[in-house]
Amino acid sequence: MFTEHVVKELSAYCNGELSGDQSRLVAAHLLKCERCNREYERIRLGVRLAEQLPQVAAPAEMWSDIEALLDARDRQPAVKARTGTWFPYGRPLQWATATALVLLIGVGSFMIYRRLRTTPVPIAEPEPTTCMAWPVTSLAGAPRIDGHRIKATGCFEIGELLETDDTARVNIDIPQIGEVEIAPNSRVRLVTTNQNEHRMALERGKLHALITAPPRLFFVDTPSAEAIDLGCEYTLAVDDAGIGLLHVTLGWVMLVRDGRESYVPVDAMCETRPGVGPGTPFFEDASDAFKAALSRYDFENGGEAALRAVLQEARDRDTLTLWHLLQRVDEPTRAVVLNRMIALVGQPRCVTRKGILKLDREMLDCWKDALDLVWF
Amino acid sequence: MEQAVRMSERMTEAQIIEACKAGDRDAFHALFEQYKDRVYSIAYHFSNDQAMAHDVTQQVFLKLFTVIAQFRHDAGFATWLYRIVANCCTDEQRRRRRFVPFSPQLEVKTMTTGGGQENAYQRRQLAASVRAAISELSPKLRLPILLKYVEGLSYEEIAAALNCSIGTVSSRLNRGHKQLATKLEHLRGEIIGSE
Repeated sequence: MFTEHVVKELSAYCNGELSGDQSRLVAAHLLKCERCNREYERIRLGVRLAEQLPQVAAPAEMWSDIEALLDARDRQPAVKARTGTWFPYGRPLQWATATALVLLIGVGSFMIYRRLRTTPVPIAEPEPTTCMAWPVTSLAGAPRIDGHRIKATGCFEIGELLETDDTARVNIDIPQIGEVEIAPNSRVRLVTTNQNEHRMALERGKLHALITAPPRLFFVDTPSAEAIDLGCEYTLAVDDAGIGLLHVTLGWVMLVRDGRESYVPVDAMCETRPGVGPGTPFFEDASDAFKAALSRYDFENGGEAALRAVLQEARDRDTLTLWHLLQRVDEPTRAVVLNRMIALVGQPRCVTRKGILKLDREMLDCWKDALDLVWF
Repeated sequence: MEQAVRMSERMTEAQIIEACKAGDRDAFHALFEQYKDRVYSIAYHFSNDQAMAHDVTQQVFLKLFTVIAQFRHDAGFATWLYRIVANCCTDEQRRRRRFVPFSPQLEVKTMTTGGGQENAYQRRQLAASVRAAISELSPKLRLPILLKYVEGLSYEEIAAALNCSIGTVSSRLNRGHKQLATKLEHLRGEIIGSE
């Protein structure tokens, strides 16, 4: 170890994170290597600067604020009721509307009851008191797990298929991970759930996920890509042809298929198609012309003409798309994309033209980090 | 406040957490008192913005109150809490960055003591410069630095809190240290000279 330069080990060396032998090797190397010594001085300065950060006392009144918010939350009813304004006394039109609604619901319920009586539907056994997999709650309609209708609550086990018809919606509570709501006309399967991986497959339909767990613990398989949660909230839809559309509303999601990766941040979308995998992500506020050209380039063999239109329509923020395109085009075309990116947002110090053209991973990541300020 | 302090003195952290899981508000207050400065410090140095630090700290503890029943003791509580802090910091920043530019803060109550008034002033100025420079780093580089230097975590603990490998922590700290040094090179004399 450390026969080469020790630049990568220098922070760990300064922080005392290396073993005694490793530290001695680094120290010995520093004695004879001017280049590593220069880096060491720089990192040492960074360390000394960071050490100046003090712990800061939280404001004294903070607990009373938090307690007030907790009290307010406790006072909220479980189901929000709109009281006092919708059906006030003395408004005959609204009373009439209410009466009509009650009648409609009554007639509808009676018809559903008759239909259920004539078409027997297997009802799931009463749920056990503790669900070892994912507890589910029916929000509307008559969702089914493996063909059995679930009542108010149920348990979604590994290997089972959860289906919703055109009126049903289901909430899935994934312990320590977050919540997923399944929209009508959907089919989802629970693939696995364990300490390191919680995975479901969306065969068709739509789901909305709010994930509070650390990144890379929650996964959704679709026919054309795998969605990897990186700490976020998102909606994922899949149509009957297996075409998917991801829309991220908080944090980041990564889409992967056959080595093709798309990082999709908040306010961005990405389409996926069978046989292609994830397309190139784009911000939802990009121009229609930009989106159309990108779709032609990704999925319709739009080639050079489509790419030219994408570059021409791109704004600063659309460097999200261009950053991905850098990694999806051949080297001569990469230079064109790179030129456009530099024209739009400039080039940070941590990247070189040569490095980007060679797809140096560290430089690409550094540029992506720097673009944070442009994208959000 | 006094009740929370008494509770912290007579119960272990594990007992306090179990009481929190049962919905005991006093236990939650005790837990808050134990961790509030650490959470606030990370949020403040992360954002360089007192209002955001206040909001993030509130969000963290409200979230903690909601999800503490899911804590299973298979990871350290502090590590688990730091994950929530990291997520809240990055989410809040994304939400705010689209609308409000960060503004430097002038005065904060630090917990450092000792030294004359002039020294204390210089230290505050230096800390303010470092905080401002850190708030310009990407969140990926910022969080390992804060967990290392404000909370004093080891690389292994940082990796657990940020759910990444020790190698990633090492590489991000390397990049963070270098970028910090580049931004504040003009303070080299002040820093190295004081050693």
